[in-house]
Amino acid sequence: MLPAGIFYVVFFAIPMLCLLVLSFWRAKGFELIPDFTLDNYHKIFTSPLYRALMLRTIGVAFTTALIVVPVAFAISYVMRFVFERRGQLILQIILLSLFSGYLVRIYAWRTILGKQGLLNSTLQWLGIIEQPLEFLIYSNIAVVITLSGLLLPLAVLPLYSAMLNVSRDYIEAARDLGAGKLHTLRTVLVPMVIPGLRTAFAFAFLLSAGDFVTPALVGGSQSMLIGNIVADQFRGIGSNWPLGAGMAFVVVAVMLLAYLTVMRLIRWITRW
Amino acid sequence: MDERLKIFLDAKLNADVSRRRFLQGAAGLSTLTVLGAGTHAFAADGKLGGELNFLGWDGEHGGNVAKPFLEANNIKMNASFQSAADEALTRLNTGGRGSMDILTPNKDFQAAILNAGTELFQPLDLSRIPTAAGLFPAFKDAPWLVRDGKTYGIPIIWGNEPCVYNPKKWDAMPPKYTDFADPKFKGELVLLDDPFGNIWLWATSLEMPEPSRLTAAQLQQVLDAMLKVKPNVVTVGASHGDMADVLVRGDASIGVGGWAYQVMIAKEKGVDLVVGSPSVDGTFYWSDSYAIAVDAPNIDNAYGFIDFMTKPESNAALAAELASGCTVEAAYDLMPENIRSMFPYDNVRKPGGGILGTQTVVPPQEPDGDVVGAPAWVEAWQTFKAS
Repeated sequence: MLPAGIFYVVFFAIPMLCLLVLSFWRAKGFELIPDFTLDNYHKIFTSPLYRALMLRTIGVAFTTALIVVPVAFAISYVMRFVFERRGQLILQIILLSLFSGYLVRIYAWRTILGKQGLLNSTLQWLGIIEQPLEFLIYSNIAVVITLSGLLLPLAVLPLYSAMLNVSRDYIEAARDLGAGKLHTLRTVLVPMVIPGLRTAFAFAFLLSAGDFVTPALVGGSQSMLIGNIVADQFRGIGSNWPLGAGMAFVVVAVMLLAYLTVMRLIRWITRW
Repeated sequence: MDERLKIFLDAKLNADVSRRRFLQGAAGLSTLTVLGAGTHAFAADGKLGGELNFLGWDGEHGGNVAKPFLEANNIKMNASFQSAADEALTRLNTGGRGSMDILTPNKDFQAAILNAGTELFQPLDLSRIPTAAGLFPAFKDAPWLVRDGKTYGIPIIWGNEPCVYNPKKWDAMPPKYTDFADPKFKGELVLLDDPFGNIWLWATSLEMPEPSRLTAAQLQQVLDAMLKVKPNVVTVGASHGDMADVLVRGDASIGVGGWAYQVMIAKEKGVDLVVGSPSVDGTFYWSDSYAIAVDAPNIDNAYGFIDFMTKPESNAALAAELASGCTVEAAYDLMPENIRSMFPYDNVRKPGGGILGTQTVVPPQEPDGDVVGAPAWVEAWQTFKAS
């Protein structure tokens, strides 16, 4: 535990502490002024722009998680209980996508979703549509689709791992005692894979909420997320590091709150 | 791998104004060699050799162009590249003092630093850079480089940011940027993620007396005008490379604040693009310079490097490699015609900086009376992007 603890302190706790201290400083011209001011936080909480972007970010992240987690759950279920012998092979195939770079995958989605992309061209060729579906690219939908594609393999990993620890006997016992498929799923399987679900949701929700590259590349002119605003505060002339640091902390707090709320909701549903 | 993809993989994100990043993937572009340029040099008061620390825009270290000079003088260059204009200042203020030699600030950033009296660059001893005598008139004693009679930089490349558009869809650009609000442009525009360039263009279009010095009310007026264009904007490109990708894919047909080099790249992909800014509003110009950081540890190497890179052959090779305008008069004839013809050289044949000297795009860093500072522009741009 000690090496892990040292790693955690050096590479997470200390940088976060520095960022926290910075969030109380001021930027003046090209200089950072050590201070203890709440101005940055006041601005963050009173700005309609930041509030709107925070809500949009939660919406996009939550939608992404709502797509990714059930799909990852279904894939994991199939790998574990339907094609049990081929489970590892399917997992390797899913993980193959992680071998390509993050940017490569985003540009691949742009190629698929673009006006003259694979999807629109195919639909036009099949005669299903006459004009390209413009909402497929440079929109919130494009961001959600791309993020879902990027994060699905990461969500499958913890869920499949959790399901490997669930004996088929439990499922069969529940069915023998008269539980329907959905009832078995809700009262037996889901409670047993809660740790995996929690991790899968965390991957999907938190990584989506913090992403600023995907919205920048496929989000278009109306899909900026809070991560883009935070990034803007740390680059170029007119940047404001203390404000950016404050924003980063508020984002972490809001996303953590949203995450804990959803976790509590899942727990409540499985006990109901 | 798709060549286009390869280019963009190299173009890292979050560069604020990212001509240089676009070029990372365009390796092998250099068409000139530095034959004829003397490579062995001595500083006026010291022998060269040892290390040279470079922090600037990617490509401007002259990886290919400076090689003969560095090898001949046994100099090891430690090059690192900035992703934002103010990165050198950040490094200086976070323990990097005494670790940087050569910097490559852009025109407006350098002027802002010098105007603010912020410590970053040291005045140059021009007697140690004799090749600087060959600069175009606009770059000799350029106003953005001179303070109190001292010169703080030697221009290395320059250019402008015109509209780049698909001629199959448009015969010409409208006279003014505000005309882009016309619904006929719906789904046709891609802008560069550059708060200052875009706000300046629209402020110019609204005929603000000083487009880089706006009051809060004027800035709001500009933002309102830009928001009228927003429904027509497909996306905001993260970099010039990203913009070019959007244009090449056909997802948009007009790039505002583009770069002439995008035309060449599109041509390689079989897509015709042309350059043409709004006839009434025009566009803005930029220039990057070599500067020496305060407390530079390898001052002799720094002077030797700048002197070598300002030779006509070196300057032409670097400008060609970076698809930009050359700053040395004798380099003009050495430039490949396809790159030379991209830029209006009449502007740099005039003394006093020409249009580059009179045009300021970046606002003051801090509010100045009623005039708002750069953070207000950034916030306005964020409002535009988020709306």
